[in-house]
Amino acid sequence: MANLRLIARLDVKGPNLIKGVQLEGLRIVGDPQAFSQRYYREGVDEIIYMDTVASLYGRNNLEHIVERTTENVFIPITVGGGIRSSDDVNRLLRAGADKVAVNTAATQNPSLITEIAERFGSQCMVLSIEAKRRPDGGWEAYTDNGRERTGFDVVKWAVRGQELGAGEILITSVDREGTQKGFDVDLIRSISEAVNIPAIASGGMGSIDHLFAAALEGKADAVAMAHVLHYEKLSLATIRKKAIGANLPVRHV
Amino acid sequence: MDKVEVTERYDLPEDVVFCSRCVMSNQRPRIVFDEDGVCFACKFSDYKHDGVDWKEREGELQELLDRHRSKDGSFDIIVPSSGGKDSDVVAHSLKYDYGMHPLTVTWAPHIYTDIGWQNYQAMIHSGLDNIMGTPNGIVHRKLTRLSLVEMGDPFQPFIYGQYLFPLRTAMKFGIKLVFGGENGEAEYSGNPEYWDRRALTLEDYNAFWFSNISVDTWLDKGFTRDDLAMYLPPPPDEVAAAGIDRPFWSYYKKWTPQENFYYASENVGFQPNPDGRSEGTYSKYASLDDKLDGFHYYFMLLKFGIGRATSDAAHEVRDGHISREEAVALVHRYDTEFPSKHFEDFLEYCRFTDDEFWEVAERWRNNNLWEKVGNDWRLKKQVA
Repeated sequence: MANLRLIARLDVKGPNLIKGVQLEGLRIVGDPQAFSQRYYREGVDEIIYMDTVASLYGRNNLEHIVERTTENVFIPITVGGGIRSSDDVNRLLRAGADKVAVNTAATQNPSLITEIAERFGSQCMVLSIEAKRRPDGGWEAYTDNGRERTGFDVVKWAVRGQELGAGEILITSVDREGTQKGFDVDLIRSISEAVNIPAIASGGMGSIDHLFAAALEGKADAVAMAHVLHYEKLSLATIRKKAIGANLPVRHV
Repeated sequence: MDKVEVTERYDLPEDVVFCSRCVMSNQRPRIVFDEDGVCFACKFSDYKHDGVDWKEREGELQELLDRHRSKDGSFDIIVPSSGGKDSDVVAHSLKYDYGMHPLTVTWAPHIYTDIGWQNYQAMIHSGLDNIMGTPNGIVHRKLTRLSLVEMGDPFQPFIYGQYLFPLRTAMKFGIKLVFGGENGEAEYSGNPEYWDRRALTLEDYNAFWFSNISVDTWLDKGFTRDDLAMYLPPPPDEVAAAGIDRPFWSYYKKWTPQENFYYASENVGFQPNPDGRSEGTYSKYASLDDKLDGFHYYFMLLKFGIGRATSDAAHEVRDGHISREEAVALVHRYDTEFPSKHFEDFLEYCRFTDDEFWEVAERWRNNNLWEKVGNDWRLKKQVA
């Protein structure tokens, strides 16, 4: 088993860190800088900044947040939200991002994945998928923070994304996001078994057991956490300690 | 079908003006703007955020509930409830935070959506008692059809029941308190007379929510008293003798729909729209239970140029969740979207053909606001 990465996910709208439930709601939690610095100090492996409403408003303006963050946070930063071209990617990478996460624009124009991968390398092209369970089985990919349907089957879309050059899949369960009810483990396993590139599990972490399930049953390569960290339900030190206790291959800090 | 002159009928200003702070227009009936171009719903919002002593209101709530709390476990409060996020908060909080014994009372939607039924069940299974009232399906459908033709809103018959059924149930059980949600006249029209209004009176309700058309009007349209048994108000002397108090939750607690969503998700198992957003808006959590909901909003759009996204975005601007610029973008993107998902169901329910429906729609389309460009109707002026 490769290393299991612990990632803090920060959903951002305008100047604020926000937290929704099932990707709905814009409750303000605080200043994203303060939170990302705290997570960095506490030893998180990576940070994801997601402008959750960027596509909704047809904008992207995370550059300044990324610039400020990289002044004193020295771990990989993934940035997503409203990225529509490889020039957008260029701007974010110049601002200090290490990777970009693309959802809406990739569903509208899948060749964008290849364009980004060829220009900047697959390692920085993260395909972000918002997955919602279908009543009759499987999952459908959504965009605009779980608002718009695409008709895409999530697993097929992940496979296609890999073929087009994505280096990682960020898989967010719309059903579980913000609920603390645990990851959609079936979803994560379906993705991690279908692709060879790393899968990041996102949406639903409420306890340490959920992390174990995502890693052991879901075979996730990384776990993205938001609610438990923002609302201080669990500390990164505790999470790491318990993961080590369970023989999970997390980094020792 | 005769065209209705909407501007005249609702006494609306000829020139369309948008609030300089939210995205509401002066075409909303009863709304008023101040000299700076700010609507009174925004001014009420300021008052709500800065002017109300919520601690004092909390004391008043405690006092009210202490007076009504039953000692033997019998029902002491009725909460009119759809199983939506807002009534979830009122009912659940009264029971589990304040130790009351609420009976939730549901006036059934015209046609339940799957998610609406699921949320209704979730509310009951979160530990709340419930009675549901469902009117005669034939009468209700005929009233709904006629209501759309005559009043440009399919919801009038539903609104009668929404008001009256909890009242009747309270009288039946001898319950003296019926707890409503928000004070709509303060929240949405911002009428200063209502800012500190604690409770609803029958006169208020007649004047505003029945569009000055009482239930009796329907007797002239061929419905019998038997048909209208579920809709006719009890005699005024009986209502007066019952001594029922109908306060607003929003008088005692700051009303924030988004916070209601968080609470209902966590405590009542409330689920947002499984399709993502609802048609005509970006929101996932409001007005989910009835397949006819979209048509209530669509006719609002035809008559007043105000769609569902405008209503949602205006409230979220006032609550500080989004900026005006964001609200404008949302209105442009979603406001005029037609609710096609349940269109067939709506036609079937009202026994309209497609052509008949559009005849009614054209009857109510406000030509002061709409113009035809090629084959498409467009709003002459949208918020910018």
